[in-house]
Amino acid sequence: MDKQKAIRSFLEEQATGACIDLTELQRAAETFDCPLRDIEKVALRHSILPARYQRNGLSCSEQLKLIQARVAIIGCGGLGGRTAELLARLGIGTLLLTDPDTFSESNLNRQLFCTVKTLGDSKVEVLSRELQQINPALQTKEQVRLFNEQSIAGADIVIDCLDSTEARKELAGMCRSHAIPMIHGAVREWYGQVGIDWKANALINTLYPQTSGPPEAPKVMVTTVAFIAAIQAAEASKLLLGHDSPLTRGWLQCDLLHCEHEILPNNTT
Amino acid sequence: MRVQVKLFAFFREGRFVKEDKELPEGTTAGMVVDDLKIDREEVGVLMINSRHCKFETVLQDDDIYAIFPVIGGG
Repeated sequence: MDKQKAIRSFLEEQATGACIDLTELQRAAETFDCPLRDIEKVALRHSILPARYQRNGLSCSEQLKLIQARVAIIGCGGLGGRTAELLARLGIGTLLLTDPDTFSESNLNRQLFCTVKTLGDSKVEVLSRELQQINPALQTKEQVRLFNEQSIAGADIVIDCLDSTEARKELAGMCRSHAIPMIHGAVREWYGQVGIDWKANALINTLYPQTSGPPEAPKVMVTTVAFIAAIQAAEASKLLLGHDSPLTRGWLQCDLLHCEHEILPNNTT
Repeated sequence: MRVQVKLFAFFREGRFVKEDKELPEGTTAGMVVDDLKIDREEVGVLMINSRHCKFETVLQDDDIYAIFPVIGGG
């Protein structure tokens, strides 16, 4: 408790108004031999906003909810990489990243940290490294493998960024059995869909009536990926902050070619 | 009978976004899918008047019938 008090008074001394710079937070982390994330938590608990979150427009108690949250991203390709980046910038505290794959040339058209330099590297490892550069307060847990129960352990929210029907059905079942809401996103060409699968909205069963999907890799445009990933990240933060969303009762169908986006009800029984 | 058919995502390509169709009595949701040369395996969701339905569901006059494909990329 004494340490907490000492950190608090250190932060209060270094704060400018109700805000504190990264340099001072890092200095506190070194001085008190404490992870940066924990220093940020102390600041937020005492209404001192780290400067990096200033422009989010969220309150200290809202930022505290986000930094205390644990979000699992299953699939770190197109949707996963972008969702992870958005959540890291928003200020989510812990991201569990799972994907067995390495970057290949066909990923260059849409996957955020896929560059000529990172070809052949593990998607999860590259993502984790880049996210640390964006937000050093972020804790990442990397799993370079197919997802399993461990990939979603202790998660408040799971984000489905997979690309196979079978895997999605398996993940949705796993999430429902642990009562973790799963934010589903999927894309093809100019089109995408996004919604929240949970016990009252068994969306995956509705959207994927067949047991398996087409064998060929779908065509995926980066613009659609960025659009759907942004909605997935927004929905994740809304769930964490306690905002209601119509996507807990149905899904959003997006068409970037005709600029038509429609919320559909999931009323299958 | 008159039914408004709405297509979603890539089902729109080379077809239409929405179209009013004159259909014989007894036409099912599946018959419209087949008529549009849509592979039933590619169909995700079928809805009549915002309620989910099956290929076997018989359409009624004034129905709004929506057909959604499976979208699977990530």
